[in-house]
Amino acid sequence: MKRPAITINVSDIAERETSFAKEMFAPLAGMGLTFTRMMQNVSGKIRPTISYPEERRSYSERYRGAHILTAREDGSPRCVACYMCATACPADCIYIEPGEHPDPHIEKYPTRFEIDMLRCVFCGFCVDACPEEAIIMSRETEICAFSRDETIWGIERLMRRPELAEFGLGYRPNAELVDSRLAFVPKEKLIMSMPNSITLKEKAEMIPHVTFDPRK
Amino acid sequence: MPKFTLNDQEIEAKPGQTIIQAAIDHGISIPHYCYHPDLPIDGNCRMCLVEVEKMPKLTPACTTLASEGMIARSNNDRVKEAVRGVLEFLLINHPVDCPVCDQAGECRLQDYYMVYGLHTSEIPLDMKVRKRKVVDLGEMVVLDQERCILCSRCVRFFDHVTGTGEMQFFGRGDHNSIGTFEDRPLTNPYSGNVVDICPVGALTSRDFRFKARVWFLHSTDSICVGCSTGCSTRVDHRDGTIFRMIARRNPEVNKSWMCDEGRLSFHRLQQWERIARPMRKSVDGMQAPITWEEAFISVDSNLKEIASKHGRESVLGFASASATNEALFLFNRYMSEKIGATHFEFRLDGEDRTVTEKEDEILRRLDKNPNTTGAIKLGFANEHLGGIRGAIEAARSGKLKAAVIIYFKPLIARAGDDEKEALIADLVNALEYSVVIAPYKANWQKAASVLLPVAAWTEEEGTYTNYQGRVQFAGQAMLAEGDAMPAWEVFAGLLYASGESRLWLSFDEVFQSMKESVTIFHNITLEQARREGALATE
Repeated sequence: MKRPAITINVSDIAERETSFAKEMFAPLAGMGLTFTRMMQNVSGKIRPTISYPEERRSYSERYRGAHILTAREDGSPRCVACYMCATACPADCIYIEPGEHPDPHIEKYPTRFEIDMLRCVFCGFCVDACPEEAIIMSRETEICAFSRDETIWGIERLMRRPELAEFGLGYRPNAELVDSRLAFVPKEKLIMSMPNSITLKEKAEMIPHVTFDPRK
Repeated sequence: MPKFTLNDQEIEAKPGQTIIQAAIDHGISIPHYCYHPDLPIDGNCRMCLVEVEKMPKLTPACTTLASEGMIARSNNDRVKEAVRGVLEFLLINHPVDCPVCDQAGECRLQDYYMVYGLHTSEIPLDMKVRKRKVVDLGEMVVLDQERCILCSRCVRFFDHVTGTGEMQFFGRGDHNSIGTFEDRPLTNPYSGNVVDICPVGALTSRDFRFKARVWFLHSTDSICVGCSTGCSTRVDHRDGTIFRMIARRNPEVNKSWMCDEGRLSFHRLQQWERIARPMRKSVDGMQAPITWEEAFISVDSNLKEIASKHGRESVLGFASASATNEALFLFNRYMSEKIGATHFEFRLDGEDRTVTEKEDEILRRLDKNPNTTGAIKLGFANEHLGGIRGAIEAARSGKLKAAVIIYFKPLIARAGDDEKEALIADLVNALEYSVVIAPYKANWQKAASVLLPVAAWTEEEGTYTNYQGRVQFAGQAMLAEGDAMPAWEVFAGLLYASGESRLWLSFDEVFQSMKESVTIFHNITLEQARREGALATE
């Protein structure tokens, strides 16, 4: 059988043209660019650095930062301790202990839910695996502590997070499908207005770039 | 022997076998829920439909006898479409709460859905018939009526295996559900079996409930060491903890069943405190830790000294009927060949009489040791002393000076256990020199001259001989705590310390040696022992 002809474009790498004048003036052209940038910096026209932590960069809406456990309407965790996140977790950093829920239609709930934030690789697989939208991610990046014990976050720490007002929500692919709530009540540092509990069906407007004046 | 064709494959069925039985024997899987090899055939789930030539309709493989010249198919599109339809019907009112269901991972609904179903449910969640969830059915079983597919395996189990008939269908149509009359708890000593045979998550174990997801667990084939029946079991464990023990099918011993006491017996292992390292009583009368090497040399030299000073009748080998055949074999070899002992004993009570006596009509036996037959066959029941009471008397009168004693606590508690342990304590107290080999700590062990820790069941490989004389293999699921080693290894070390040229390094080597030297074990292979066990015959 005769195959149809295919046109394949092949780029021809040309020999770099050079000349004496180019060799002489190229460094000067480079210096010119450097000088222009310096002047732009000095005059404040562009500013590549920010004064962290007073100023912060804004991250993408699907940024994968520290996890959040979402809540039912009564404030208890939505999690049913099904271990899907722990099964999907490549870093083996999620520890769950289930208990018997008094409501037979819920049946199972976590008595302990711990994420070892130092082991976590922030891949977001737990969020993908969760059948209940019980675990989502925030844009929080600062997980610092004075001891290793403090970096293992339990249910309380994962649910009630006032600092989320500052960072905002992150990766939550099923936001449009599930009516889950956040358990935290942001109070301080709240610059833009937020309802006490944000249902994920609403678009939670978060502060992209927080700046405050230390003199105030 | 009817020959028939299944999926273009010529199959020779045994007379009276149905299509599904012949297919299972030849490794062809036909989907099924209600068929169970050890229960009467019911044919209600309609999952095992196959096409038989010259039959107008599809026919269930579990009720159709395989007959000469029959041509059956289980893999064509007509059958697959029918099975998919049956599965869709079964799932109409199923709550699909797999995330909170303990059966998830070993659920036949999940398995067959992935193979045959893959359909989209036509029934929205709020139209499904809701039934009762988390119904308490006693200490072993939790019932979820919504997940039930009404295969009646549990009903048939209570009707035909235990004969107590606690469970029944209630209601009609899509309100049909299983349950017990007025939710009375199941007090039957075999009720845990319905959890094993339930193909879906309707009956789940109260004990295992929410303890672990099954895909995290590792399985080891073992046997139950709760009594002399020695039911074949599978131990599911993770990170050195046993989570559950379930029955493994063995038509020669326990079919697919085991008793509830045996099912929960592994909990006792986790409760008792372990001996961590070998101890020796020093001059001040207190025990202090020593290394295994020191222990072997000191035990061997002390026993030899006593045997030469007071005669070989002054040393006793006191075995336990819960030790493995391999440990008993090397124990006997060490005591008789190296020390020259003639007194061997293992009876705390009349185990040699009760070993075959039934406690009930199904599985349980009165003798709560797994290896009494093995201890008798390996020569630990000679008539010189007549049980432990005779040994204590001989020790008190000064005839017995030293003994090597193995003691395993029984995993299933019965009245009189403490008295039996007290007899061991009496023997240790009456002796001049005593070597106690045990896995668990006890107060009386402080009187022992040397205390050696050994691995318990599930921490060592070993074979046990049950009441029929059937040698069965129990695998190792985890490592023993501390410095403990398997009991056969202790005796292999003692043999080596006393000048034996051979050092046994693995279970397989000991098994081979035992096979060669003990006539009744000649014909047994390890492969048989690992599967259904092999009879030790003269």
